[in-house]
Amino acid sequence: MKNKTHLLVCFFILIGCGISINAQDLLETLEKEYPDTPQYEFATFKASRISIGHSIETRKKGILEIQAFNRFWNIPNYGGQSFVADKLSARLALEYGISNRLTFGAGGSTLDGIFDGFLKYRLIRQRSDGKGSPLSVTLFQNGSYRSKRNRPFPDVNRFDEFSDKLAFTSQLLIARKFTPQFSMQISPTYTHRSSSAFSEDPNNQFAIGIGGRYKLGGHVSIASEYYYVINPLESIDTYDAFSLGVNWELSDVMLQFHLTNTRAMAEDAFIMQTPNNFNFKDGNLVFGFNAIFVLHLNQKQP
Amino acid sequence: MNKIIVLLFILTGFTELEVKSDQIITRQGQTSFFSYTSVENIEAKNNQVLSIIDLSKHKIAVSMLMNAFVFKKSLMHEHFNESYIESDLYPKATFEGKIIDFDPLATGTQIKIIKGDLTIHGITKEVEIKTTIENNNGNYLLTGDFEATVKDFDIKIPPILAPNIAKTISITFRFEYQPYEK
Repeated sequence: MKNKTHLLVCFFILIGCGISINAQDLLETLEKEYPDTPQYEFATFKASRISIGHSIETRKKGILEIQAFNRFWNIPNYGGQSFVADKLSARLALEYGISNRLTFGAGGSTLDGIFDGFLKYRLIRQRSDGKGSPLSVTLFQNGSYRSKRNRPFPDVNRFDEFSDKLAFTSQLLIARKFTPQFSMQISPTYTHRSSSAFSEDPNNQFAIGIGGRYKLGGHVSIASEYYYVINPLESIDTYDAFSLGVNWELSDVMLQFHLTNTRAMAEDAFIMQTPNNFNFKDGNLVFGFNAIFVLHLNQKQP
Repeated sequence: MNKIIVLLFILTGFTELEVKSDQIITRQGQTSFFSYTSVENIEAKNNQVLSIIDLSKHKIAVSMLMNAFVFKKSLMHEHFNESYIESDLYPKATFEGKIIDFDPLATGTQIKIIKGDLTIHGITKEVEIKTTIENNNGNYLLTGDFEATVKDFDIKIPPILAPNIAKTISITFRFEYQPYEK
């Protein structure tokens, strides 16, 4: 008899369960029906650069970016009457998304005559559903060719053979989107210069970059970057690259404005060979303006 | 005593059966939205919309992930999620409502009003949607369209892009249901 009462209680619980399933909210039922597809964080940074250096972002397949990076600065005690600023350097470049993870880019800078090409591969993507990787990792490899000497700045490599003018930079870009507004990136960097004009200079140099962005609104964010060089050049005084700026994006256009101490735009040049520190003196303060236009070459049919 | 137990068995069996036959679901519902302006046409489609109908209570619920919308341009997808709909904060759009004067047993086509709460971008609005319901031997198909005002859902559009995005967005849907089995 006692067993049967137990059974009875069990049945009542069962019925109770049945009723509670019945009364369950339809939306709650749907909540359980979502397939377990991985959800990835998107837009850790908006553009392929945080401000001066590469971000973990790569463009989706079939996207062509047309880029014009500009740097303006004044020459101290210069008597000329240039428009806006005494000096201008521009890097014109194209970047193309070969796949959703692999981007190829190439460009040339006017000031130092550096032509550079790079490949960027998005190795690990941060997931937003709490599973998988908490970080995004992108591999970056470039090669640059210095076509001319860059007076009055000192040249640290020889200009005899073609191979003397080459430099290669590898970066491991590691970033995390902490909140919808705030992202940070750490970029260990290795540069190999094929030749050195001075024997005391290291051919292999290491640096660590740190960068971040904070979104002020839907379309505007502030971004800053700093590169610490571990073994700087010995023959000339170099300083760590720094930038502070504002990024603005609207539909197919992205504009990045920043104050920096770097004039060059190829990685080996601006990270390892910036000849002046960041301050507001003429000749040291550089105003940077990156304009990026995005073209979708293959459009999906929704 | 044993009889009571048997009776209870049958009863629980019935309640569970009832639950099963009463609800129909779709996991591949389609929802599209369109924004037509003289400057730019924007359209996006989501093929993974979930919807469930309780036939006995005439209740319907719809839920979808905002980042499952596919756009012609992949950058639009990013901007939609990041700058407009803010799917980091509000990942889903949901609807919960009642089909007014719904007759689940009538076969053929019936046009009914569905009245309920639409939640987009964390903001809930009461809406009435005219819906065509086709009952083809127990296979239900719901189709319809309605319009939503961007302003109602507190979606901020920068003034410079105001000409590119329509003030009201037209939304179409097509849900084909199957019996829901747990």
